[in-house]
Amino acid sequence: MSTPAIEVRGLRREFRASQGLFAAPRRVVAVDDVSFSVPAGSVLGVVGESGCGKTTLARMILGLMEPSAGEVLVDGKRLDGMDRRARARLIQPVFQDPFSSLNPRRRVSDIIAMPLVAQSNVTTSEVNRRVAESLERVGLSTEQGTRFPSQLSGGQRQRVAIARALVLRPRIVVCDEPTSALDVSVQAQILNLLAELRRDLGLTYLFISHNLAVVEHVASEVAVMYLGRIVEKRESEALFRDPRHPYTRALLDSVLTPEPGLGVPDVGLGDIMPDPANIPPGCRFHPRCPACFAPCAATTPRITSLEDGLVECHLAG
Amino acid sequence: MSALLEIDDLRVTFGGTAAVRGISLTVEKGETHCLVGESGCGKSVTSLAVMGLLAKGGKREAARLSFAGEDIREYDEKRMSRLRGDRMAMIFQEPMTSLNPAYTVGSQMTEVLRRHRGTPRAQAVDRAVELLTRVGITAPGLRLGQFPHQLSGGLRQRVMIAMALMCDPELLIADEPTTALDVTVQAQILRLLAELQKDLGLGILLITHDLGIVARVADRVSVMYAGEVVESAPTAELFRAPRHPYTRGLLSCVPVPGKVKRGDPLGSIPGVVPRIPPGFSGCGFRDRCSFAEAACAGPLPRRDVGPAHEALCILPEGVPA
Ligand SMILES: Nc1ncnc2c1ncn2[C@@H]1O[C@H](COP(=O)(O)OP(=O)(O)OP(=O)(O)O)[C@@H](O)[C@H]1O
Ligand SMILES: Nc1ncnc2c1ncn2[C@@H]1O[C@H](COP(=O)(O)OP(=O)(O)OP(=O)(O)O)[C@@H](O)[C@H]1O
Ligand code: SF4
Ligand code: SF4
Ligand SMILES: [Mg+2]
Ligand SMILES: [Mg+2]
Repeated sequence: MSTPAIEVRGLRREFRASQGLFAAPRRVVAVDDVSFSVPAGSVLGVVGESGCGKTTLARMILGLMEPSAGEVLVDGKRLDGMDRRARARLIQPVFQDPFSSLNPRRRVSDIIAMPLVAQSNVTTSEVNRRVAESLERVGLSTEQGTRFPSQLSGGQRQRVAIARALVLRPRIVVCDEPTSALDVSVQAQILNLLAELRRDLGLTYLFISHNLAVVEHVASEVAVMYLGRIVEKRESEALFRDPRHPYTRALLDSVLTPEPGLGVPDVGLGDIMPDPANIPPGCRFHPRCPACFAPCAATTPRITSLEDGLVECHLAG
Repeated sequence: MSALLEIDDLRVTFGGTAAVRGISLTVEKGETHCLVGESGCGKSVTSLAVMGLLAKGGKREAARLSFAGEDIREYDEKRMSRLRGDRMAMIFQEPMTSLNPAYTVGSQMTEVLRRHRGTPRAQAVDRAVELLTRVGITAPGLRLGQFPHQLSGGLRQRVMIAMALMCDPELLIADEPTTALDVTVQAQILRLLAELQKDLGLGILLITHDLGIVARVADRVSVMYAGEVVESAPTAELFRAPRHPYTRGLLSCVPVPGKVKRGDPLGSIPGVVPRIPPGFSGCGFRDRCSFAEAACAGPLPRRDVGPAHEALCILPEGVPA
């Protein structure tokens, strides 16, 4: 078997959240003992509640944040020992907000050139050639390369972010909600572009999104996170056809398809969101789980392997 | 009975840009009217113009702009500020524009009630706790003591929604209220709004990119393009028989679970929204429209194309259904 593009083992990240001057800080476990691997050339979609740890996970995989425990291997190599420039050639991010992630005072072509220039051993003519190639790849004109970010539309700015991520020809791109600030027609353009790049360049994506229809469209496998854990991870087609974890089911049932007259469903999770500083004992989903039964409040469920993935729930065991 | 909100021929310019070009729409008591359309088409500017909150340099004109039967065009800032946050509330697209970083969530939420209603502090705090709980915030007491930057994006968004509801408004203008939230929280917020609508007759003007939300909550939909409403219809009618070429394109861009094959490209509308200078005439969509012809550069008719269904296009019946 070939080396996975991304492999994480026992990954954990804690934060201390201050509660003001006098109260003791609360300990938030944002990512809690997570392990998985992403085969080269595939797309792992990551979904889950706001605040469940998706961005924290992405930042650790990118080497932008130290794990509290565990390790990340990218293309078979440990991240912590890796030189920053080598890492940049291997894995690159595309973040949600094309407004704040681009330096407003630099021209587009300079923004795209930045990762290359930081490599130090690249000649100016090589930089120019690669920037031109990247611009073309994402469908921006040479003229647009001379503009400032404020002179581009939201969709064009997101193309700049993708061009910057591609200029070093990385193997892996981590996309954290790459289209949620965009309207549907621009979103479609960007998703089509990402799909085309994967086909042509054999890229691997980690793709985080709140939009399940988008995830279904792009991902080969999907990981569902809840309060810092991956509670289900399946082949995309299987997950959407036959979700096994009650939280996954609630998520899928909450999707609002464009079908008039159906109203907004109540999926029975109750109205109180979980508190990451106060994780429930047993199954961490049990206070909200519509399927909760005897062992759930006391015993933490084990990970059960399925033919097409895994799930962490007593019902599957 | 006149509508709760009535906008007739609203126009907004910023120097050399015509951001809104003659929009008319109404929101009835208890109704949800959704406004959709491509980035930059003038949705936020429309809502800010209604609230009297246009940025400096923005000029507003309208044949009529009325709230609960009263013409608010000539209201001065003092009268408008008495309406805002009280009978007419707004949820802004960017949470940080309505939350002041220098004050705690609690003092900002209670201030709304104290200013408009003179409610005593203890009672205002109770109301704030109640609303934070209803938007799904755990430990509301803790959150009241925090500053906006100490909250995650999703929490901030929910605080804003709770704050807009403090005075039981009659009209709520909500600009992308659930974009930063996951689908379960989104559903919870939308159900809360529907409940308030049923109980209190709240009228909602809802701006969103998400056509799933539109389909599920809107009574009526207006589709905007380049500063104009190009099509307007009752929700079921619009999804069943979209007539304007832009609306058609928009609906084809939405990935529907189980309907799009993985790997197949999604439908998209090639090109970008043009910048519209004042004095521009004809159809703003014509350089992207596959039905465009010479007449599209001239004055366009606004036609009835179905029950309570209008489109702004030269095609007599709109695109065939
Ligand atoms: N720098 C930080 N300091 C303290 N707590 C943090 C910090 N960053 C994240 N957290 C906490 O860690 C948890 C996970 O946050 P994260 O941003 O990873 O969530 P997410 O899944 O990306 O959410 P969203 O869908 O809203 O983007 C949250 O409870 C958050 O409040
Ligand atoms: N303060 C301003 N000064 C100049 N132009 C402005 C200003 N505010 C908005 N505009 C312009 O008015 C037009 C409409 O903007 P608006 O913010 O209403 O778009 P929108 O439909 O809300 O888009 P989005 O979906 O991206 O939020 C745009 O062309 C925008 O550039
Ligand atoms: S273990 Fe129990 S509480 Fe947890 S998800 Fe499964 S059924 Fe629900
Ligand atoms: S008026 Fe002409 S260009 Fe505009 S939408 Fe209709 S057919 Fe297309
Ligand atoms: Mg995030
Ligand atoms: Mg807007």
